[in-house]
Amino acid sequence: MIVTYNWLKEFVDFDYSPQELADRLTMLGLEVEGMTSIGAEFDTVIVARLEKVEPHPDADRLTVCQVDNGTEVVQVVCGATNHKTGDFIALAQPGSVLPGDFKIKKSKIRGQQSGGMLCSEKELGLSGESAGIMILDRSYEVGMPVFEALQIKDTVLEIGLTPNRPDCLSVVGVAREIAAMCGKPLNLPVAEIVARGADINESASVEIVDPQGCPRYAARMINNVKIGPSPAWMVQRLEAVGMRSINNVVDVTNFVMMELGHPMHAFDFRHLDKGKIVVRRASLDESFTTLDDAKHKLTSEDLMICDGERSVAMAGVMGGLNSEVQDDTSTILLEAAYFNPISIRRTSKRHGLHTESSHRFERGADIDMIPVALDRAAALIAELAGGEISPGVIDEYPTLLPKAKINLSAANTEKILGIHVDIQQVSSLLRGIGLNVASGKIDDAGTVEVGVPSFRPDLEREIDLIEEVARLYGYDNIPVTMPRACLERQVEKPELKLEIAVRNLLVGCGFSEIINYSFFAPGDAARLQLAEGDQRLESVRILNPLNEDQAVMRTTLVPSMLDTLSRNFSHRSTDLGLFELRPVFFPVGDETGSRQELHLAAAISGQRAPLGWNQAKGTVDFYDLKGVVEKVLALLGVKDPCFRSENSETYLHPGKSAQICSGKTVLGYIGELHPQVQQDFDLDQEVYLVDLNLDEVFAVAGNYTPFAVPSRFPAVERDSALLLDETIETRNVLDVARKNLGKLGQDVVVFDVYKGQGIPEGKKSLAFRVRYGSPDKTLTEEEVAKAHGKLVRAVCQQLAAEIR
Amino acid sequence: MKDRLQELENDALAAISSAESAATLQDIRVAYLGKKGAVTDIMKGMRDLTPEERPVVGALVNRLKESLEDAFAGRNSALQQDAVDLRISSEKIDISLPGRQTFSGTKHPVTLVTEEIVEIFGKLGFCVEEGPEVEQDFYNFEALNIPKDHPARDMQDTFYVSEDLVLRTHTSPVQIRSMLKQKPPLRVIAPGTVYRRDSDITHSPMFHQIEGFLVDQNVTFGDLKGILTHFLTSFFGDKLGVRFRPSFFPFTEPSAEVDIACVMCSSKGCRVCKGTGWLEILGCGMIDPEVFKSVDYDAEQFSGFAFGMGLERIAMLKYGVSDLRLFFENDLRFLRQF
Repeated sequence: MIVTYNWLKEFVDFDYSPQELADRLTMLGLEVEGMTSIGAEFDTVIVARLEKVEPHPDADRLTVCQVDNGTEVVQVVCGATNHKTGDFIALAQPGSVLPGDFKIKKSKIRGQQSGGMLCSEKELGLSGESAGIMILDRSYEVGMPVFEALQIKDTVLEIGLTPNRPDCLSVVGVAREIAAMCGKPLNLPVAEIVARGADINESASVEIVDPQGCPRYAARMINNVKIGPSPAWMVQRLEAVGMRSINNVVDVTNFVMMELGHPMHAFDFRHLDKGKIVVRRASLDESFTTLDDAKHKLTSEDLMICDGERSVAMAGVMGGLNSEVQDDTSTILLEAAYFNPISIRRTSKRHGLHTESSHRFERGADIDMIPVALDRAAALIAELAGGEISPGVIDEYPTLLPKAKINLSAANTEKILGIHVDIQQVSSLLRGIGLNVASGKIDDAGTVEVGVPSFRPDLEREIDLIEEVARLYGYDNIPVTMPRACLERQVEKPELKLEIAVRNLLVGCGFSEIINYSFFAPGDAARLQLAEGDQRLESVRILNPLNEDQAVMRTTLVPSMLDTLSRNFSHRSTDLGLFELRPVFFPVGDETGSRQELHLAAAISGQRAPLGWNQAKGTVDFYDLKGVVEKVLALLGVKDPCFRSENSETYLHPGKSAQICSGKTVLGYIGELHPQVQQDFDLDQEVYLVDLNLDEVFAVAGNYTPFAVPSRFPAVERDSALLLDETIETRNVLDVARKNLGKLGQDVVVFDVYKGQGIPEGKKSLAFRVRYGSPDKTLTEEEVAKAHGKLVRAVCQQLAAEIR
Repeated sequence: MKDRLQELENDALAAISSAESAATLQDIRVAYLGKKGAVTDIMKGMRDLTPEERPVVGALVNRLKESLEDAFAGRNSALQQDAVDLRISSEKIDISLPGRQTFSGTKHPVTLVTEEIVEIFGKLGFCVEEGPEVEQDFYNFEALNIPKDHPARDMQDTFYVSEDLVLRTHTSPVQIRSMLKQKPPLRVIAPGTVYRRDSDITHSPMFHQIEGFLVDQNVTFGDLKGILTHFLTSFFGDKLGVRFRPSFFPFTEPSAEVDIACVMCSSKGCRVCKGTGWLEILGCGMIDPEVFKSVDYDAEQFSGFAFGMGLERIAMLKYGVSDLRLFFENDLRFLRQF
């Protein structure tokens, strides 16, 4: 809602400066989001008096004027003819910049000094056309800025209104709040109706077929109007609050809406068939053209204003083209009505028509304001468009809308706000904003009955009144306390801790966390070459996405991870580790619509360490990432994690990827990105990627690893290098070795794998170290040799290996 | 005999003092004092002496041994000192060369502020709860006193999945889910991802909020002010100006917006606070009786407050990030600064 400082002043006589007013309104819940001053840029255009006007010695059409600017007399050359000695005029002094970036400078015109310019209305942007310069009222003070004298100088306040305050969708509504704030009376505009001619009821009638949708409909008639432009003050007011001037009649309806908050509509009466207004629902599929020339297909739920024959306005939303006020309109039927908020909202939504009018009706207009607004508008039209108001008013109001009466108790107010409440003080605060507080108390708890006026439809319950009390008392005056709360046993989901632990570990391993949008394009999952029937190809669809790239919920974190990598590569961030820990979504048939699954995607690429003078060299590979995954699984206490080269993902390199399992549970996948997918995503270097289903990982996570007492006796290590078939996976060697550790073996580590010179084709050398020890003695050479020999033999036999 | 011993001592002391390394010194030691060393030989030869000579020579040999042991020890420590001196004098590195680097990982700034806020409220006994991001209309709107056809629905542009399913527009549905799950007293903090159908320089279609609420007997608006003032000063600093002003949310009444003194300009007025000196930081209020009704709590017996704030906004203010879009571009040059 936009209001202006001067306009507010017409209704309440407050003493605040614009800034002070804005601050106070904000603290009252009417947040002032913006303030602009208008007219201040023309402060160097001042009221001046013409001391002497003489013809220019060297030019027939020019005059040379001696102008009193309040401090001195200056000479100005002027081309107009409508001025004479003694006139008060608008003098633009040198340095002024007029609309259109017209700079005023000292100059010489045909040999005569000219220290400024005498302005026309057009030159000051006050009207479109003007004949000659502007002659001002002689009551103005010489030297005063013209815009200040004309009261054009003003401050526009932009108020961000919450939807519960339709009463403040008008200048008077905001003024009412200010009046309560400063304890001064609110002066409503008074309309003087001078009626002439035949009674309205002789030529017009109103029938409400649907009183549910339209509880009240009132009308007045104005004859012999002359449609034309509005006067400057009207145009300025409307423009200041963001409205465009149309003509003197339409402008009045808009002006009254802004002033009093009640939307109105003016019909060209000659286009109303049989002079009738019928308020009813539309017929199904009826076509209707609103006055913005847009065609709408109506439904039987749309409430319409009709004449004897057809629809002439979409009730409370917008008028129809067929009955619009035109240049030759002479009789006006003026509508002021109240429509059901839900009905208006549905029609407005259905047809995508959000208007100043629908905005007010759907939030709740003031039904008691109808006769006031109607008279105010009729009087203004008569004044500005020269018409005659017909005697009589049509006011159909079949069933009075009930008015809320609410009991407000001091005890409940204290309980919610935590302040001591004096019910007398509360009553006077509430009376200040126009509520009708009964004077007597109802009971010992200090309860009073509060009658709610029609302009506050938001006040329905006691708690609504308690909020009003808090607001008027001032939130800042409520003391700060700490709650006295019970200590309760509360249990958090254990996974939350694990999530944090995983994040911390990855950050420790050099990964940076990313957050991508939860939605992606419908084709994004398919970019991973997923097999037909893969559940990730079915996603939760958004009905009204912002664009097709964000139309479905992610079923996998991988595509956005790859896009993120690609973007970073193009920024020359090529050595990196990234991770994202977020849910993915799968459609389900029940009322929840979706199943959320927590995933961890991590990727590495580029150099192992930042560039430096003696850094770890080389680019990352599969095993860098695998090491991190092993750390994560170990941290979570996942039992016997296993990496299998079979059943990997389609988007991973088949020779360099694995499925990650624990027992029969699949936890995720790891590997180098498939070269084809790498190309498809425009990635110009190898990428290693892991995708873990954290819900599954957390499910198999163990919470505690039993600790072993360190032995007091030294451990012994034995190394062996074996020659074996290169197709045999290290996992097999380790499996056999671990099974044959015996009582003394503690641990096996592979420390070298070698193919090439000295090794026969098709074979590889694999070296491992086994540690032996005992908790209760130092092992002898013989004991160790025996245990290690047994282990090595087992590996050799089972895997056809030989000792190198 | 005496002369022989003296000669031996002279030779040994000369050898010891000229030994240039610990190894040479050890060899010399073996040559004199070892099992087959010169001094040991003499000791062995003692049995050939007369009983009268034995004590005399024995005393002489013992003196010789002591003298040599002292010399060895002295030389040994001199050599050790030399070795230390040599390392000190010869070893020098350029300590201005940078240390060996590994990549430092970073948490997303939104995660950082989330963790910090959760920790502050955790100390006050607030427990973390979560809810689904694809949410039912009932939890996201209806139960929060935002019926269909209510203009309050315009406050949040909503992504719909079906007529009754939305991408949650706020974390407030967690209130409903938690309250349906347990009875008061209740203290909950609920961070989460939320969605609004809006995208421009200052709006992202996906962002993060944190919701908190407390339900108990005799909870007042003053308590709400107390908890939030404590939080804001803990997070932004002790001397922070905080103000509460009236606002409207369908699920709280009275409702408030909370402003903090602009941290960018120290309330002098700048672009970020639009010249007002204040920054809107969170919305809050006393939980509306209608909400209690929808979760079957007795509003006569219990009262409570709730609050919610945007985590990106908090992160922007904390770190001085001027552009919201940076949070979702995932540019490493941005992320690595946190």
